[in-house]
Amino acid sequence: MERSIDLGTFVPEPDDDMLICRCEEITKGEIRQAVHDGMFTIEEIRRWLRAGMGLCQGQTCGKLVKGIVAKELKMSPWKIEPATSRAPMRPVEMRIMGNEQLEG
Amino acid sequence: MNRYDVIVVGAGPAGLSAAIEAAKLGLKAIVFDENAKPGGQLFKQIHKFFGSKEHKAKVRGFKIGEELLQEASKNGVEVVLNAIVTGLYMDKEVTVKQDDKIVHYKGDTVIIATGASENMVPFEGWTLPGVIGAGAAQTMMNLHRTRPGEKVLMLGSGNVGLVVSYQLLQAGCEVAALVDAAPRVGGYGVHAAKVARCGVPFYLSHTIIKAEGTDCVTGVTIGEVDSSWKIIPGSEKHFDVDTICLAVGLSPMSQLAKMAGCEMEENPLKGGTVPICDEYGETSVKGIFVAGDVSGIEEASSAMIEGRIAGIAAARSLGYIDEEALKEKSKELEAALGSLRQGMFGPGSKGKEIIQTEEGYEISKSLLTKGYIAEDEIFRYPGVTKKTGLHPVIECSQNIPCNPCQDACRKGCIKIGENITSLPVVDQDSECTGCGLCVASCSGQCIFLVEDGIEEGYSAVTMPYEFLPLPRKGDMGAALDRSGTKVCEAEVLEVRVAKAFDHTNLLTIKVPADMTMKARFYVGQEV
Amino acid sequence: MNNCADVVIIGSGIIGNAAAYNLAKKGCSVIVLEKDNSIGHGGSSRNGGGVRQSGRDKRELPIAMWGVKNIWPTLSEELEADCEYYQQGNLRLGKTQEHLKILQNLTNNARECGLDVNMISGEEAREICPYLSEEVIGASWCKTDGHANPLTTTLAFYRKARQMGVRYISGEEVVEIRKIKGKARLVVTKNNVYEGDTILLAAGMESRKIAGTVGIDIPMVPHLMEVLVTEAQPDMFYQMLGTAAADFYGHQSKHGSFVFGGSSGLEGYRKDNGTYTNSSITAACTCRGIMKYFPVLSEAKIVRSWGGVIDMCADGVPVISKVEEVPGLTLACAFTGHGFGIGPAVGVLLSELIRGETLSVDLSAFAYDRFKAKI
Repeated sequence: MERSIDLGTFVPEPDDDMLICRCEEITKGEIRQAVHDGMFTIEEIRRWLRAGMGLCQGQTCGKLVKGIVAKELKMSPWKIEPATSRAPMRPVEMRIMGNEQLEG
Repeated sequence: MNRYDVIVVGAGPAGLSAAIEAAKLGLKAIVFDENAKPGGQLFKQIHKFFGSKEHKAKVRGFKIGEELLQEASKNGVEVVLNAIVTGLYMDKEVTVKQDDKIVHYKGDTVIIATGASENMVPFEGWTLPGVIGAGAAQTMMNLHRTRPGEKVLMLGSGNVGLVVSYQLLQAGCEVAALVDAAPRVGGYGVHAAKVARCGVPFYLSHTIIKAEGTDCVTGVTIGEVDSSWKIIPGSEKHFDVDTICLAVGLSPMSQLAKMAGCEMEENPLKGGTVPICDEYGETSVKGIFVAGDVSGIEEASSAMIEGRIAGIAAARSLGYIDEEALKEKSKELEAALGSLRQGMFGPGSKGKEIIQTEEGYEISKSLLTKGYIAEDEIFRYPGVTKKTGLHPVIECSQNIPCNPCQDACRKGCIKIGENITSLPVVDQDSECTGCGLCVASCSGQCIFLVEDGIEEGYSAVTMPYEFLPLPRKGDMGAALDRSGTKVCEAEVLEVRVAKAFDHTNLLTIKVPADMTMKARFYVGQEV
Repeated sequence: MNNCADVVIIGSGIIGNAAAYNLAKKGCSVIVLEKDNSIGHGGSSRNGGGVRQSGRDKRELPIAMWGVKNIWPTLSEELEADCEYYQQGNLRLGKTQEHLKILQNLTNNARECGLDVNMISGEEAREICPYLSEEVIGASWCKTDGHANPLTTTLAFYRKARQMGVRYISGEEVVEIRKIKGKARLVVTKNNVYEGDTILLAAGMESRKIAGTVGIDIPMVPHLMEVLVTEAQPDMFYQMLGTAAADFYGHQSKHGSFVFGGSSGLEGYRKDNGTYTNSSITAACTCRGIMKYFPVLSEAKIVRSWGGVIDMCADGVPVISKVEEVPGLTLACAFTGHGFGIGPAVGVLLSELIRGETLSVDLSAFAYDRFKAKI
């Protein structure tokens, strides 16, 4: 993917301060700005802003972030790859994570 | 390491069905579910299901869940609850959080039946307490017996939005409005009609502009959208509500499959990211299967069949049955699955505007925009007949995969035929005994019994009634028409409660003769 | 678009991006090619974020010290992004006499090179970081060490370079480097051909295969490492942590989450499904390691874990070198899992090397042709 495409100037929108990622408190405007800064993939958005990196790991906002990124890039959200799936599927306390039972 | 022939993740309709089928064929099966209660979403489904009678139609969802659990235990399936599958690793190794440990298991096959999660839609104030998913509202009401609020606005007119709106009404909440940005109702017309005749206004081509309130929801403003989804200035409407329910679709919870390295695709028809699988649900990783919503959003009835197919296919892959048996067993199931996917709500029709039924009847425009069939539209459907004596009126106007009504009538008065999605036809020559079994059998609550001339100038209308407290014979109240408007006074003639009706009680009211084809709901006087 | 540039860089990790930024700053035209769909998708986004001098190989230490002194303190300002650099020291912890011996050795080596690092007692360590368990009996302490956020730092270089006109193409897998009239000049990808006066190969483990297309081999092997991340915790401490026993390493990030790397000891024998697959036992092992030193974290919830591949070099330090026998080709690879902390400095040095400027730090220890048989 060519990263030097012209997305035009960043024009603020009235609902830019709306929260999208509730866990990490990332707004729509921050996500839009990140796209204009060259963050074109969900992985880059996550790494740059932490959107989708909190307790729910993007379960709630994943689709919303995709939609915002797609709109800025003027492409279909279905063409945007979702984030990698990572264990644990639900948050697990360190005490429990370390307490393994391999047999029986 | 703990080893099983098949490890099933998720004890919902798909997962339990898969485990049962696999266990029946001799596989050592274990099912993990992160919830304290098994059954997935089934235990919140207090409504009767659609489908064919071979596949649990007209049975209430939670009953199906109980039946599946019994069947699972009878066949030796281990069901482990409060067990969170945290990962699916190489060699089909599964790690499960149980109590305060992580237990490792290996499966020769793994069936992922993790279901779906609710979509959200952002608008100003969407993070205020009081904005909840429709599924959450259902959990609160039907599992925890707590009303999510007093006054609710529902966003989304798909089956979830419609069914949950009805359940909110049953729980005693007021549903202030049912709103959808789409120009047409997304779910079954019969589900919409149940809600509309209780007086809930439908706002299609509308969306939420903002949720109001500082600490929690105290109101909501909606507005009409144009064809490019922009709010039309001046179309704003305000409602005082304390709860906003979002029923804006589901997304497959396919993360485990992705983690396991299954080839995935982004599929709008399936609702999101899904693993690519063959006709048996096997993914690109040999021995890892998927069934139910995780492989594409559908109904619980299809999930159960998909689960059974995956269970049989797992048995085949481990040599418990041969290829021929697999083909034979899956053939009937695939045919059933095929029939469930027929009709105007099948996956093939997603997003298409359908203007007439398979038989050529025009679809009610009023039903699609207001939630009820208009008076000048009702007589076009083959279940709606004019006759002076006692007879059923079936206000079924869309091709949905459902046929219990045809077997409900012992007099053969109702015919659907071979094609499960066909509209029921009322045979005018058959004698109606007024037993009411057809009324109670209809999961869409769209069958009524009417009888003209019960006394000079009056008719009787019998309707399905699933509200408490039940009215009593002799009560006076008002009859509402399909739009929920009070049209006349009504006297309760009879309330029939029978085991065979399975809690769909039959309420017979007396209305003036010109109201026979209008009165479709009853409210007591104090309301 | 023009597929020619002064420099074509293969790889958009911290090394490629930092080099691109510094070259662009000096007026070079640059094209960066990335095989993955995301920028910095390899080791640069998969490391513990250490900005350490202590514990480094003697040969690498001058670069690390130069970077800590000259680059890191002003990096966030320079890139106009928060790299989350904390210079609050590095504690390398020991629980046994054996551990203390290892730490003493590392400390002696570093001191010889002029690094201010010393051995401290368990009590002194707990004064610096009060959350340490009583099991810790000593540590090495380097107060000028620190850590940063590798995700934002890598992307900050990318953002800045892109703003300065560096052309990035992602999802662009390099197939070969081709020579024209005796000089490496063309970079052939699956879809296109790019041309540069200089080609900088900074593609992590992938570099070995690509260098092979012009007959160069660097002895390096892939080595999986895994990291886990906790939910945000209250502010506790900002030292970079490691242990003599290599049970784990990591730090608390600005966000509050702890980022800890660790291993099960079986990494060398792993298999995968084509992705950076985690093993089913490593995260658990890392947790057990951490809790011995930080029992206070036992209730912290792990929200995710991830794996990445280290380009492990035969002698443990990178190759940062012009390839004399293939004029036009410069290598920056085999960073062996400690490339992030020196990455920003290496970016400056690469720009100097490529432009024939005087080097701020001598790079002769990192020549591509240094690998010799043992006898």
